[in-house]
Amino acid sequence: MKRLVLLLVLASVALIAPLSAKAHPLGNFTINQYSRIQPSGDHLYLLYVLDLAEIPTFQAKPQVAAEGQAAYANRLARSIGRHLHLIVDGRREALVPIRHVLAFPPGQAGLRTTRLEVVFEGPTLTGRSTVDYRDTNYAGRIGWKEITVRPSSGAEVLSSDAPSKSVSSELLAYPKNLLQSPLDVVSARAEVEPGSGSGATPVLLPRNVLEQRVGVRAVADGGFASLIARDNLSPGFIALSILIAMFWGAAHAFSPGHGKSIVAAYLVGSRGTSRHAAFLGMTVTVTHTIGVFALGLVTLSLSAFIVPDQLYPWLNLASALLIVAVGISVLRWRVREWRRRTPPGQGHHHDHSHSHGHGHHHHHHEHDQALSPRRLLGIGVSGGIVPCPTALVVLLAAISLHRVGYGLVLILAFSAGLAAAMTGIGLVAVTAKRTFERVDFNGGVIRLLPALSAVVVLGLGLAMTVRALPRLG
Amino acid sequence: MTWRRLTVAAAVAALAATALLLGGVLRESSSAARASLAGAQAAEDFKEGFSLNRSTASLVADLQSRLRANPRDERSYALLGLAYQQRARETGDPSWYPRAEGALRRALALDSKDSIAVGGLGSLALSRHRFRDALVLGEKARALNPYSAQPLGVIGDAQVELGRYSQAFASFDRMNNLRPNLSSYARVSYGRELIGHTAAAIRAMRLAVDAATGAAEPTAWTHVQLGKLYFNHGRYRLAEREYRLALDVFPGYAYGLDALAQVLGAQDRYRQAITAEREAVDAIPLPQYVAALGDLYRLTGRRVEAQRQYELIGAIEKLLNANGVKTDLEIALFQVDHGIALRHALARARLARSERPSIDGNDVLGWALARNGRCAEALPYSKWSLRLGTQDALKFFHRGMIERCLGRTEAARGWFRRALDLNPRFSILWSPLARRYAS
Repeated sequence: MKRLVLLLVLASVALIAPLSAKAHPLGNFTINQYSRIQPSGDHLYLLYVLDLAEIPTFQAKPQVAAEGQAAYANRLARSIGRHLHLIVDGRREALVPIRHVLAFPPGQAGLRTTRLEVVFEGPTLTGRSTVDYRDTNYAGRIGWKEITVRPSSGAEVLSSDAPSKSVSSELLAYPKNLLQSPLDVVSARAEVEPGSGSGATPVLLPRNVLEQRVGVRAVADGGFASLIARDNLSPGFIALSILIAMFWGAAHAFSPGHGKSIVAAYLVGSRGTSRHAAFLGMTVTVTHTIGVFALGLVTLSLSAFIVPDQLYPWLNLASALLIVAVGISVLRWRVREWRRRTPPGQGHHHDHSHSHGHGHHHHHHEHDQALSPRRLLGIGVSGGIVPCPTALVVLLAAISLHRVGYGLVLILAFSAGLAAAMTGIGLVAVTAKRTFERVDFNGGVIRLLPALSAVVVLGLGLAMTVRALPRLG
Repeated sequence: MTWRRLTVAAAVAALAATALLLGGVLRESSSAARASLAGAQAAEDFKEGFSLNRSTASLVADLQSRLRANPRDERSYALLGLAYQQRARETGDPSWYPRAEGALRRALALDSKDSIAVGGLGSLALSRHRFRDALVLGEKARALNPYSAQPLGVIGDAQVELGRYSQAFASFDRMNNLRPNLSSYARVSYGRELIGHTAAAIRAMRLAVDAATGAAEPTAWTHVQLGKLYFNHGRYRLAEREYRLALDVFPGYAYGLDALAQVLGAQDRYRQAITAEREAVDAIPLPQYVAALGDLYRLTGRRVEAQRQYELIGAIEKLLNANGVKTDLEIALFQVDHGIALRHALARARLARSERPSIDGNDVLGWALARNGRCAEALPYSKWSLRLGTQDALKFFHRGMIERCLGRTEAARGWFRRALDLNPRFSILWSPLARRYAS
């Protein structure tokens, strides 16, 4: 009975685990602002991030619709610039928006949020300067307000009352630390020493990347996505990041989805061996890697027509249908098998019960056809076909940062970690089953197990299908 | 070191009081605010302690640095949980609530018998409209520390919302005996208002105002409460004066801005009313504020803008549902008032009344039944909502509509006149109708 309970528990966990988008971490009506003052070479740049939660986004909707997104973003960027006060050595300097990205990442309850990133260009610095900065946008509105000062391209910051590192990862991951109050910093002062020559301009991510990246910020594996955006890549760091990527991949296997319970149920019911578990793991890795690349390509080349958001439901459906197919096929085979055995003493039959006491004996005549490569492949593919959004973000970010090779390596490592975890789960299932068999001699449940497992696989597949359907709106 | 101990002692006293202050922001209806009365008590205790000018923000910073140095200090965690709740009240930012809960739970993990932490969870439950939980937590805190007034406040406020009025008044009495201060005065005032003793209620609230001389937010809150008492009895000038005082003490106070917009609307000063209400919505887009702004737009013929506000309420409602926040009563009232999805609104009102079987819960359910044409069923709920003798023009109006729908025109007229005598412009939405039906 224990295993039945275990299977039911696994099944229910897989079904209940929520997939819905997370609420804006700072409350649905916040307006969050971030400024990165960036002396770069002899230039002074400012990266400004505006993050509107669900309600302010909804309030702005008629405006966006009336003006069109491009005009809205333009106007917003200019209006933000007008409310930024930059004083260098006592002189008020203009901040000119030179490029911006507007995205509407998904929020809660089917609503959207807004994320606008603007690069402003300030004055050219001729020597050591004192920079005073004040953000008067949305004064009195609730939200996270943060400023950092971070030099690049040879410029230096001699002193600053703002930190160089953002505690919120530039409004992508708000800290959950109990001892951290929401920041409310709207001004900063720094002493800077310019470098020589014009420095690099701050980089903005493309819109679809931004939308995905923000979408995953609540999904806890932001640690993986952040690897790609590191400024300096030393060989040591790359080696370390491969390990980290594998870790996140493994951790990801334990998040909802990915048919862990299906793998377990399948291997338990079909007297799988370690080899089968390994094969499953491999399939998952390969499918997942291919899936990420394919979806990445689609997203980049067809971004005008398809949003990954709209693709995910279809992938989920495909994965679910695949599992249903495997479930049906196994079940049909079991039933046929059972029919063949029922009339007692009729010629060629497998008496399964005798082998259950001795786990190691089973490599004689009966080759469990439930483990046919085709079915195993089906299970493995269904586990990997829905690419993890984080991996997709990493790929897109890698392309936009011209670090494609590094991105590929990270995704491979991520997939390998994922596969290792899946294989591990499979091995645990296989081992647990053997142990169980050794103890339980009468094997009432055991005899039912193959059929039960097929039913569970089928049930899970159907449940996934039902869940995938309403998302196809 | 004694200085430090003294600081802690003062902070404990202040925050034990502050713990009552619930998320006044989420509980706008007149019944709701009571629970946050104790806000004013914080001022009292800051006075009794010594750091009159100490702001909650600096107290928070202090406690945080203390906890970074000594992460096993359960008392500081409990206080931090209370201070975070006060910050939520001051800023209207709900992201303080999960932080508050985290800090209180951490305190309890370190010491499961910390009465301040238990009481703090009680006030948190009140601010989330989980009144039964609040009652249980309040009783538990009281058992842990029978000489503290704070748990009695939590218990009494929860009893009010659960419709157990005689028990609630007894709790408030006990609290007042234990500790006569702003917090208990304000509760006494509320009790008197409920049983229809208006003049006495105003007297008690004035005492509360006098007692609140320290922290800005509690002072402002008490002014707004007093203003609402005046408004409910048609004394608009006096009400407006109190609201403006509140906004002087605490500029941008959304709770005060919304009240000000209401009294300005009652005096036909719509342009000013819209400005004030829009400021309130900009600060904290609570469904009640958004609805009021929509009504003001509609009244002044700005239909598109009105419609936009009503649509925003739909979005807010979705978000609240997704977050498990219980604001059924407020949303049901909005839907019933505006004739939106009436049958759905009725189901919502039923649910709300089972959660909050108070006079307000019964009133809204009665009104929802009436607007669905089920007036015979509505009558007992309306009777229940008026059984304490509360002088509330809106409840009188609802009763009038029910009587009228039952064909008892004369009785209906009587109720409409009572409503208008009490507060001639009780609602920009409904008082014109009341006037028409009264004659």
